[in-house]
Amino acid sequence: MRSPLSKRNAERNCERDCARSCACIRVRVCRAACALIVACASSASNATWQFDVDAGSLYDSNLTRAYEPADIRADAAFTLDAAAGSFWALSGSDGLTLTADARTEAYHRFHGLNVLGIGASGVYKHKFGVGYAAPWIALTVAGGHDDYRGDIRDSHRLDLRAELGKRFAPEFDAAFGGRYDRRYARNDEPVVPGISGKVFDLHGQSVYARAGYAITERLLLGVELSARRGDVVATTRPDFDIFVVSDAIAADPTFGPGFFAYRLRGTTDTAKISASWALDQQSSLNVTYVEERTDAAGGVYYRSHSANLVYAWRY
Amino acid sequence: MRAVLLYATLALAVGVVRAQTAEITASVTDDQGRPVEDAVVVAVPIDGRARVPPRAREGIVDQVDQEFVPKVTAVLVGTPVRFPNHDNVRHQVYSFSPAKRFELPLYAGSPAEPVVFDKPGVVVLGCNIHDWMIGYVYVSESPYFAKTGKDGKALLADLPPRAYTLRVWHPQQDAGEDTTRKTVDAARGGPAAVAWTLKLKREAKVRRAPIGEGRTRY
Repeated sequence: MRSPLSKRNAERNCERDCARSCACIRVRVCRAACALIVACASSASNATWQFDVDAGSLYDSNLTRAYEPADIRADAAFTLDAAAGSFWALSGSDGLTLTADARTEAYHRFHGLNVLGIGASGVYKHKFGVGYAAPWIALTVAGGHDDYRGDIRDSHRLDLRAELGKRFAPEFDAAFGGRYDRRYARNDEPVVPGISGKVFDLHGQSVYARAGYAITERLLLGVELSARRGDVVATTRPDFDIFVVSDAIAADPTFGPGFFAYRLRGTTDTAKISASWALDQQSSLNVTYVEERTDAAGGVYYRSHSANLVYAWRY
Repeated sequence: MRAVLLYATLALAVGVVRAQTAEITASVTDDQGRPVEDAVVVAVPIDGRARVPPRAREGIVDQVDQEFVPKVTAVLVGTPVRFPNHDNVRHQVYSFSPAKRFELPLYAGSPAEPVVFDKPGVVVLGCNIHDWMIGYVYVSESPYFAKTGKDGKALLADLPPRAYTLRVWHPQQDAGEDTTRKTVDAARGGPAAVAWTLKLKREAKVRRAPIGEGRTRY
């Protein structure tokens, strides 16, 4: 039988090895990114710069992702996203877009959710043929860091996505894909001995399908359905039913002194509808409505609705 | 005295030539009375005799700001057309139209060889990199054609004086080109006018404007 001390040492060694391997992966990813940037810079004369700015507001009916009505909190926020990137036509069928972006969200009531994020992404797209109707595949790698006013949510993000799509007519296109999302929490503030405090250390896998139809030359309607299986976070007042099925718990003062964030396994079904009104070739007004339903461990079930109004501009 | 005679003869000759040409002013509006730009008006002599130019001129369809410029180009059948690219990004221009199928592999600058449009009809242009890019080459079997400007008017000048069948084509035209046929007798020379009112449908074009992502994360 192992003594508690040797068990602790083994855990420490394991953590050290894990940290080393993470650092090694980070170095490799950085090297690969540098090589890609150098390769692309060599053909910079064929690159097109892109600048995007999205400014708007959002409203969320259940920011806490709570299932008890008394714990549900809603709020509205101002949002601003800015991105600069470059597109390379690698061949007649292949394109690569590298983008750096920054975003911020400022909430009206719950200032702990205010965030400043920076990130980068790479999208490789391949068309299986010539013409707008040729099917295509797009592979996306995105990463970033989000710095929240409430430290519990500070995290690095990694998002991998593979999407297959086709335009069936100039007005109608559809796509489906799979996504892996990983969020690495920076702060570990456990409140229960033996249970992790890294509530926002999350990962999940999703599948989704989306379609867009341009009703007129200016108005584009979109619909997206997705299902995600993975970690979810619900913030409530102390709740035994959630406590017993949580694998990470931390105090979440963003919503008040008595609130705790619980990490659970769950499945989230999301339906999104959107309308985009083109103001001209470079800008649009966009309205999006999202409904989420999450069925988590221990019979925890919650819903949330959110709506966005965004002005999008591209140069 | 000789010089006066020479000038008089020349003036007479020019007058005779002018009297032997006709011009037709075409006017195209939509069903709400607005002028229609980029409509191609074609005049075909009813007797089938056309004064074919000795050599067809070269056409140019440019690519500027990821759009075809001009959007509509009208050329005589057999005309070579060049596709210079003035963007920083490369383009891959193609067409699947029966009147001319071609594909210019990804290029920057100007391709070495022009594309010869050797069959009459409408050729729809696209770019495989930028799906929203769309352009049209109208290949006319008659040497007498013109494109309407922003005022919806086109001038067919220097026509041999005879009767013509005129028709009009536009990318957004709801009815077929054949339904627009009109006969104009310009046998006496001088100016004539013809007008069309077209019902336009929405353009079959992929939208270029951005779409706001509307992200929510926390």
